[in-house]
Amino acid sequence: MHKASVLERTLRGIALTLVIFFFMFPIFWIFLMSFQTNETILRVPPSMIFEPTLTNYRSLISGTLEGSTATLEIRFMSNLYNSLFLSVTSVTVGLLLGVPAAYAFAKLKFRGSEDIAFTLLSFRFAPPLLVLLPLTIYFQKIGLADTYLGLIWVYQLIVLPLILWIVRGYFEDIPSDIEYAHRIAGHGFWSTFTKIALPLAGPGIAAAGLLAFIFAWNNFIFALVLASADKQPVTVGALAFITASGINYGQIAAGIMLSIAPTFALALYAQRYLVEGLSLGAVKG
Amino acid sequence: MSLSLTDIRKSFKDDTVLDGVSLEVPTGKTLVLFGPSGAGKTVLLRLIAGVIEPDAGVVEIAGRNMSGVEPEDRGIGMAFQNFALFPHMSALDNIASPLTAQKQSKSAIQSGVQSLARLLKIEHVLGHKPKELSNGQKQRTALARALAGKPEVLLLDDPLRNVDAKLRFEMRLELPRLIKDQNATVIYVTQDYKEAMAFGDEIAVINDGRIQQIGTPEQVYLTPANTDIARLFGDPVINLLEVTPQMGASGPFVAVSDQPVPLPASHSGDIDRPCILGLRPEALSFASPETPGTIPMTVETEAPLNEKTVTLAVTARGREIMLSRPAGTPGPRSGPAHMVINASAALLFDRATGELIQGTTDAQAQGKVA
Amino acid sequence: MSETKLRISNIDKFYGAIDHGVHAVKNVSMDVEDGDIVALLGSSGCGKTSTLRMIAGFEEVSRGSISIAGREVHMLPPVKRNVAMAFEGYSLYPTVTVRDNIAFALKSSGKPAAEVAGKVEQIAAMLEISDILDRYPSFISGGQQQRASLARALIREADLYLLDEPMGQLEPQLRTLLRGRIKFYIKERGLTAILVTHDQTEANALADKIAVMEDGELQQFASPDEIKEAPANLFTGTFVGEPPMNVFPAKARSSDQALVFDLQDGSELSFPRSVFARDLHDRIMALQSVMLGVRPYAVQRSETGAQARVLANQWLGDQSHIAAEFAGGALVLVEHDRAALSEGDAITVHLDPSDLHIFDPASGVAVSHGASLAG
Repeated sequence: MHKASVLERTLRGIALTLVIFFFMFPIFWIFLMSFQTNETILRVPPSMIFEPTLTNYRSLISGTLEGSTATLEIRFMSNLYNSLFLSVTSVTVGLLLGVPAAYAFAKLKFRGSEDIAFTLLSFRFAPPLLVLLPLTIYFQKIGLADTYLGLIWVYQLIVLPLILWIVRGYFEDIPSDIEYAHRIAGHGFWSTFTKIALPLAGPGIAAAGLLAFIFAWNNFIFALVLASADKQPVTVGALAFITASGINYGQIAAGIMLSIAPTFALALYAQRYLVEGLSLGAVKG
Repeated sequence: MSLSLTDIRKSFKDDTVLDGVSLEVPTGKTLVLFGPSGAGKTVLLRLIAGVIEPDAGVVEIAGRNMSGVEPEDRGIGMAFQNFALFPHMSALDNIASPLTAQKQSKSAIQSGVQSLARLLKIEHVLGHKPKELSNGQKQRTALARALAGKPEVLLLDDPLRNVDAKLRFEMRLELPRLIKDQNATVIYVTQDYKEAMAFGDEIAVINDGRIQQIGTPEQVYLTPANTDIARLFGDPVINLLEVTPQMGASGPFVAVSDQPVPLPASHSGDIDRPCILGLRPEALSFASPETPGTIPMTVETEAPLNEKTVTLAVTARGREIMLSRPAGTPGPRSGPAHMVINASAALLFDRATGELIQGTTDAQAQGKVA
Repeated sequence: MSETKLRISNIDKFYGAIDHGVHAVKNVSMDVEDGDIVALLGSSGCGKTSTLRMIAGFEEVSRGSISIAGREVHMLPPVKRNVAMAFEGYSLYPTVTVRDNIAFALKSSGKPAAEVAGKVEQIAAMLEISDILDRYPSFISGGQQQRASLARALIREADLYLLDEPMGQLEPQLRTLLRGRIKFYIKERGLTAILVTHDQTEANALADKIAVMEDGELQQFASPDEIKEAPANLFTGTFVGEPPMNVFPAKARSSDQALVFDLQDGSELSFPRSVFARDLHDRIMALQSVMLGVRPYAVQRSETGAQARVLANQWLGDQSHIAAEFAGGALVLVEHDRAALSEGDAITVHLDPSDLHIFDPASGVAVSHGASLAG
């Protein structure tokens, strides 16, 4: 039995290594690419041995792309800033609107609440392209096209249903008795929401915020159509690397590394909350 | 009246949970709400607490109609069956919750919590979070929180259900006194008849959303309104035998295994009515065969039960009978034996409705005195 | 001498690696005689369920051996052990009726249908489930499911019957009656049964012998009477018995004529030295501080004795439970008549040395029991 468990551990280790290798290798390869020139990247057969260079990162940060034939101005850093601004603001707005709404859907069963909740979720079913054209026309008419406000508004289509559905589940898991106990102890509705419901659903809210951030960050189509160059996020900005004179793989790789950095950092940070949320047995008391 | 409920009705969808419940509890008294699970007890407590609204009927606390009054404004303390402690707060903050709501000063809160914690013997765990507390400590913390705000009305929803047997016994002895000292009007919900009898100034037996009987513990135990209630009070359960009263030379009687069991003269009107005879196990005792009026039977098993000895026996007609006697007193362990019935403790119910047929038995007289 | 039906020899259970994992059952041994009902009694996590599952074969035995009816079984799969088990979680087959659930094992053993049907009816009547035999498990209450599961186990022919918390979900009104019937059923047929329970009342009511477990260890394995009269240690003494045993810390002191116990509140209990055997007296004096235990039924109200003040008097219909302030704690006594006492009344209680249990407070081990005092 003792031996069996050693074997079991070994097998499990091998399986985990394989899975990690499978998922992480592309990212690892891109990481290597970001320190190479186009020539070393494209040589056949590919090799892991090269002289690392920081030119890719340097040109991204300085904003000048040294092509083989010409020098190109790119706005990668401002794209990165746009991504950050759009995602953070959208998620903040989404949380401010979505968390109280999720609470209402979870705890205050009112007439039609199920229908409304379902309708909101169904926004996720509709392909964005479907609404994009009419939306563009409307936005141009009312002057929201190519504004941060307009983009953030549209981003709510992505962010809000997500937050609503995740957080609602967490609120539903809080036993009503705990909230009743707080009310009966003499605290009002609002205090019970902020002192009991919010802290107990905290891990869920963090998870929803994180996911919403990633979705917002990765959005491409809305920004492509609705934003001009100076408001574009990295997802759209990355198109600039495909130039008439070729594709700059090195810069793309560096761009990818820079653009996943914020999400990556956020995930690492929030992971603690997520794990805590799962192991807290939070609301069982 | 400190708490009064008038004709409370509540349904969830098509399911009628409370079907016209009326209750009154005088200030400082304890009413035990007793009934099987699903009887509507918890819903009734929540209606009083104001976390759900009745479909119809009036809840009054200290003469004030509570309709539209928020839970936090009702002056209520409540302990929940599953404790419902705030998991992210320490025991101290849990107990302090009603005091912070009253905006009391830091020092007043501190001393209030400390004195309750001392009383309930949880001073040493005040800094712990609920998940670090044992079940007994959780239960005491929940009680302390219910008491902390010095509420006028205290609602206790089966607070001893989720603690182990030993602690439950200790708390059963300790809690009534603690509650009395609060001078609050108390509604105590339980499914345990012993708790009901130990705690209640009055017991309201609720079943299927209706109050079936309200009375002192003596009245409910000695003169249960129907066979259901008779079965719910007492362990082992009351023996119920189908009988038909007959008229004899010395008055009405029923035959149990061909032996006449005399009934009070007030049952003269019930001759030939299909009835059920209720005999508590402690009203039956073993006797030598020579004693007149004994009933022969065969003892199947004997078992100790909380300082009693319970015997399962079968009469010649195949009826199962349970007898109980104080532990340590002699009795047959198996084989043939004889029993006598303490006729004065017998109860007569109508067979069709299960309702108690009022007659003045000694037991009933005793109940009225008490 | 009847034969040994189940022999458990020095079994250990580790969850995880042997000697490193969680040690759930620690070196437990017991012999169960043919025709006995044995209760494994303890609070949750004491190892009782692990022990039962090892006997059934659902859990591997980490160390030690188990034999049933003279056959070593601890290496055999459950089906080869010839045991019948009623599960705590009911575990009825959801796709067939209660009747077919109960009849399943008998039918598959090739018994004639008429005989099986008769047996099912009989056991269903005993467990009060005759009216639900044709329903499906999901349409009956928890208590009914538990009774059906019990019927399915008891109807089988097996060397050993294993009952895991058989009455936990049962309606309280039915419990005492069904306990009586089940005990009669088992005894009448001479079956051997092991039941797991956390309820000492159930263990006392059903079992010929109780195995009290705590922290993975077998604390005592004895008849209910023996546990009541001679608990091996403080745990057993206070765990078995309702109302629980009264315990008081005391300091022993010897004078010319008497052995005196100084109690926490400054009062004292004094007994003539003559009631204690010489060596017992010396052992008590060597310990100095002791834990005194007295069962509630052994505390009598009397003319002379120790003073106590009534804290609570609860009448339960056929018993009065009285708690009185005594020695800085609460002393509980039971009377079978309705006691005319109210809070604050002064009473005098007599504690007879023959009812006194003395424990070593450090180890909890019993030093003496009333019965063994004199001589």
